[in-house]
Amino acid sequence: MRSGSLGARLAVGLGLVAVLGALALLGMVALEYVVGSDPPLTAAQLAHEVADHVVAPLIILLGLVAIAGAMVIRTGLRPLSEAAIDVDRAAQTAPRGFRIDQDALPSEAQPFAAAINRLLGRLDATAEAQEAFAADAAHELKTPLTILSLELEKFPGEMATALRDDVAALSRLVDQLLLLARLDAQTAAETPRETIDPKIIATDLAGALAPIALKAGRHLAFEDAGATAFSGHWEAVTAALRNLVENALRITPEAGTVTIIAGPGARLRVRDEGPGLSPQRLAELSKRGMRADHASPSGAGLGLAIVARIMMAHGGALRVDESCRELVLDFEGIRL
Amino acid sequence: MRILIVEDTARLSALLAEALAKHGFASDCAPTLAAADEAIAVASYDAIVLDLGLPDGDGLHWLDRRRSAPLPPVLALTARGTLAERVAGLDAGVDDYLTKPFAADEVAARLRALLRRPGPRAAPILAAGPISLDVAARRATVDGAALEISRRELDLLEVLLRRAGSVVSKDAIETALYSFDAEVTPNAVEAIVSRLRKHLDEAGVTGALHTIRGVGYLLEDRS
Repeated sequence: MRSGSLGARLAVGLGLVAVLGALALLGMVALEYVVGSDPPLTAAQLAHEVADHVVAPLIILLGLVAIAGAMVIRTGLRPLSEAAIDVDRAAQTAPRGFRIDQDALPSEAQPFAAAINRLLGRLDATAEAQEAFAADAAHELKTPLTILSLELEKFPGEMATALRDDVAALSRLVDQLLLLARLDAQTAAETPRETIDPKIIATDLAGALAPIALKAGRHLAFEDAGATAFSGHWEAVTAALRNLVENALRITPEAGTVTIIAGPGARLRVRDEGPGLSPQRLAELSKRGMRADHASPSGAGLGLAIVARIMMAHGGALRVDESCRELVLDFEGIRL
Repeated sequence: MRILIVEDTARLSALLAEALAKHGFASDCAPTLAAADEAIAVASYDAIVLDLGLPDGDGLHWLDRRRSAPLPPVLALTARGTLAERVAGLDAGVDDYLTKPFAADEVAARLRALLRRPGPRAAPILAAGPISLDVAARRATVDGAALEISRRELDLLEVLLRRAGSVVSKDAIETALYSFDAEVTPNAVEAIVSRLRKHLDEAGVTGALHTIRGVGYLLEDRS
């Protein structure tokens, strides 16, 4: 038997020791009575003597042994169960680079901790390698795309404009895929979270996207509805909000306004003037397109799936408020 | 205006130089950081366009190394403009960022914006499309015709012109227009903006001054 509870095995072992000891004691006492008495005792007398002077004290002794044994087993194994709780808690909240403190464990358990630490090291290294790959791939893919787009600028006409739009869409898709790769790395081994003020994220993004929106003939606005800070990954939250705002700008008719609202609480909301989105449709869009071959060429299909993924990784949720045409990034309940 | 393009992909730098020439920029290309060092030693540039990933080193380390001697404004080209990268870049002395792929017009607009920033090399005359402002003489013109505006409106125009094409936050405008201890009524900036907008509209630059509600204001660069 290789598995099972250590406590149970110790209990069985201790019980066996106690029973064997008791039987041996009983046998020796009985032998002494038989050999040492003159005239020899009858069987009934012997049984009576043994029961009176040996069995009764033995029962008391065994009872005490059982209680002491249980206590020894429990206290002996306590460091292990405590360490397991600590490690479990840390595994859920600790960022990349977390290792189990081997010195805090009993020496018998230290080899296991060492093995787990080696495994954690490999997980961190894989996550870092994936992030490095995403960065390299970005550089390798974006330079030829830039060349392509600058070449196309030299040609006049509708055809060249359409091709330039395609290049822009392709480059957006590359961005989305690389973001997914980085999110995967984050899920495998998280980096420390930062304090995020929804107001700052929203105004920064509104400032960055306003010139693009104006060029496309749409307005961008910001409102503060009493936002509170939460803890998260600045880059990922910005990417999620950016995705929502870019989608909103696409579906809002010309001269319409997309409004970014911070709050109330740990929320970021994006209001558009498009046709609206039902919760069912949002759920569909959030699920599909996790694979690039499901996404539309513009990368729009992948966008909401990425947003949903970012929200899930944060412990938040992507919701739709149909009554006022808002998509909500809800971070309520995430501790600071 | 003379620009140094530091970029290892020869085709990209050639295309960029060709496109920038149409916007009135003369460019030299350096494929490595060593070549950039040589170019800077023999010529004077108004701005540098710098790719951050170069074969002979990291563009940011290079900037850090050159910090002792003053460099012209730097526009960094990057594959992914992540926040961490931006923060590191600003620390190292990058003045602005552009994420690939970009349009040539955008590079030209950013370069013009960099050259409008205050500094030893700043142009004495700020211009964005038909609007220009003589910083020292405190005179603004639209298509050569004088724009009769108040001192505060002129200060606002200067702030917006220096960052034409991007959003200037309301806080930044308040800081630029009023001294720290001055009492600023909540609608003071709005009032000045709407007066300036009226003057610009009357002078023929219609709809160039935008309000980004809750964020700030943007003056279009119609160059």
